[in-house]
This record gives sequence, C-alpha cells and structure tokens, in this order.
Amino acid sequence: MYRKQVRRRRAVLALLIVGSFVLLTITYGQGSNGLQRGVSTIFSPVQSVSDRALKPARDLVDWFDKTFDARGENGRLKSELVTARTQAVAGQEALQENRQLRKLLELDRGPALASSPYEPVIGRVTARSPTVWHASVSIDIGSSDGVHADDPVISGDGVVGRIASVEGGSSQVMLLTDHESAISAKVLPAGVQGVVKPEVGNPEDLILDFIDSTKRVHGGLTVVTAGWRAQGLASLFPPGLPLGEVTKASIVEQEAKEQVQVRPYADLRNLDLVQVLTGGSRG
Amino acid sequence: MILTGKIVARIVAICMLGVLLQLSFFSRVELFHVSPDILPALVVCLGLLGGSMTGAVSGFGIGFFLDCLLVEALGISSLVLLGTGYLAGLFRERFEIHSSLVPALLCMGLTLLAELGYGVIQLLFGIDAPLSTLIIRDLLLKSVYAFFLGWPIYLIVRRTLRPALVEEPKLQRRRQPTVLGA
Repeated sequence: MYRKQVRRRRAVLALLIVGSFVLLTITYGQGSNGLQRGVSTIFSPVQSVSDRALKPARDLVDWFDKTFDARGENGRLKSELVTARTQAVAGQEALQENRQLRKLLELDRGPALASSPYEPVIGRVTARSPTVWHASVSIDIGSSDGVHADDPVISGDGVVGRIASVEGGSSQVMLLTDHESAISAKVLPAGVQGVVKPEVGNPEDLILDFIDSTKRVHGGLTVVTAGWRAQGLASLFPPGLPLGEVTKASIVEQEAKEQVQVRPYADLRNLDLVQVLTGGSRG
Repeated sequence: MILTGKIVARIVAICMLGVLLQLSFFSRVELFHVSPDILPALVVCLGLLGGSMTGAVSGFGIGFFLDCLLVEALGISSLVLLGTGYLAGLFRERFEIHSSLVPALLCMGLTLLAELGYGVIQLLFGIDAPLSTLIIRDLLLKSVYAFFLGWPIYLIVRRTLRPALVEEPKLQRRRQPTVLGA
C-alpha cells in the first residue's frame, strides 16, 4: 500500500516536471498564445480593480521607503546644494542646458513627436513582473485602444520601453532594463551613436555600447533615441526622445570597451501612468 | 492533510489570490529598492502544511497562473515553484517542526533557492546583457523579506486550511471538568 502510494507520488512529480519542460519548449520565445491571452483577458479587470484598491497600501509602503531614502540623501543633498549655489552664480551655460532639457521633456509638444505620425495613448500600470530577471509591466490598454506590438512606451520623463505583447484590453511593456532590450541612441550634442542596453539586476544604470572610441563623451550629457531609417528599415522609436544622462564615462572604459554608463530619465521602478506611441511607421 | 473538494477549492483560491496580490501589490512596492516576492513563501507554506505533493502541485499551478498573467514563456516559474513546494513538503515529511521559526527560515532559504533556480534557468536560455553584482543584493534582500512575510503567510494559510489538517501543532487548552461537591 505504502509502496503504491510512493510510486504514485513519484509519477505525479515526474509528470509535473515533464509538463513544465514541455510547456517551456513549446512557448519559449513564441510570444503570447491563446491560453495566455484568454487568462489575461479574464483577469485583466480583476487586476485593474485590485491595482486601484491596493494603491493606498502601496503608497504607504512607498512613503516608508522614501523616508528611509530621504534620511540618507539629506547629507548628500546639502553638499550638492553648496555646489549648485556656486554653479548658479556663473550658471548661464547651465541655464541654457536646462532649457534644452526642458524642451526634450515636453515630449508631446516637442519636435520629436509633433512632426511624427505617432498618436499617444495613455495607460495605467496594473502589474509588474516579480523577478529581477524580467523587467516588464502590464498596462490597462491593449489592441482595442490601438496598441500594437513593438509600439514605443514613454513616461513624462522619457523612454520607458516598448510593447512586448498585446491583448484586447491589456498589454505587456518590456522595460529598458529587460535583458532583451536594445535601443539605438545618440549623445547630445556630440552626436556619438550607440546602442543602449541594460545591466541585468541594476535598474539604476544602462550601458551605451558600441560607441565610437575616438570621440569623447563626458558625464552629464543627454542621451536620446537615434531613430535611424535606412533601406526600408526604421527604428521602432522616433528620433529625439530623451533616454537618459551619461553618468560615468571614463576614458579607459571608452577606449577599451567602447561603452559609457547612462542613468535613465524615467523612474522605471515607480511607473504609474505611461504613454504608448501608436500608429508609427514600422519599416 | 485530508483533501476534500472544499479544501482543494480553498487552496486554489489561496494560490490565485497570492498571484494577484504579488502582481498588484508586492511587485509594485519597494523597500531598499527591492520588491518582495511572496510566491515562493506561499508555496513553501502550502508544502509545509500539505506535504510534498500538495506543495509541488500548488507550486506548478501558481507558476503556470503567474506566467499566464505576465504573458511570459510558460513553464519556467512552474518548474522552479514546483521544486520549491516539493522540497518544503519533503522537509515536513522527514523532520518534525519543533520551532515556530522553522516556517519563516524555510521560506527564507527556499526563496533564495527559488530565485537562484530562476536565474540559472534564465542563464541557460541565454542573457543578452551583462550581469550586475547588484543582483546578489536583490536576491538576498528578497529572501530576507520572505523570512518576515513567511510567518504571517504561514499563519493565514494554516487558518484557512485548518479543517483539513490532521494534526494541529498547538493543542487546544482543555477546560478542566467541574468536580461536583468539591
């Protein structure tokens, strides 16, 4: 009797393991399937309701987190304030740079989008992937709102990522920090071009890779989307969307690895409202 | 654990509620820049209370539901969480749980194992970007959160599944019989 029970348990375990591998083999790299679309469609309203219901609790936890952060930042900010005051006295150059950044951040009215065929659709983030390996969020707009796979996604601060998959009333956004993400970008005003890639597990930093090592890039420069177009092919992102700011650009790293570090403008860990740029060209 | 239709329904409800809570709340809050992951801890608690089979099956189910909602490749989370649930159940079948710290410690250890397992599978499938050393901090903090969240999860799951539990760890205090004429 006991042996029979043990044998049955082993069989169930083996079945589950084999089942997992079969599912993995069938669905890996295939995008969404009918089953996932069905489950996602059924539970999308539930997720939306629970997202709104739990917002006060999330805000409470965020408040604690930010309070801890603020205490640590207090001393650093004081010293930064002294530096900033000194810079502000002779700050004509900084003011000009500031104006440029402000122009870049006014995305909807800015030249990056005003002259492009994109139509922004606003969506709310309803869920986020729990693992550190996948950086993706779910939003409450989908194909019924005109969203398509690979549409660029932005927040008020800059590029957030792109649409990975679309259902009727929801979509998955692959964030800049996902390991599969790669966006062609250029540094302003130097014009140095490269590819912005993430560093897995570090949502604070991105890497601008494959840059021309003969041209110098220094910290504080703005990185925007390159938006290239050649031989019938085009980048998914329109040119001139702000991506981030060069934080670390040592000469050794530039010459040896042809890369610099970039901090994204968008706060990817606290996304709430995002814009999907629908209707763009997909060469 | 005595599995009846009602108990299975309760387990399914716990699993679905856990996944929805994870996606709508825990994944979207951060303490020290890391979000807690309650799903391995939930699977550990189900394994500890129901045994290796309950742990493995509920782990598989939770992983499957999670991957469906996140529209990610099916099977990775199922595989990791079924292993987590099976190990927790195996612990319960092999060892006596004497201390109330055991569930929390197991949640911590097996969450770390689950996160590492998930990472190994991802690495096997290929990661296109360089790895940051900060990932180690993230994994360790996630397991520390699992220690603190594991205990309330264990209490809630035990209370929900109480009718099915064969033995209660804490015996109810019996009222002394009244002796007439004493």
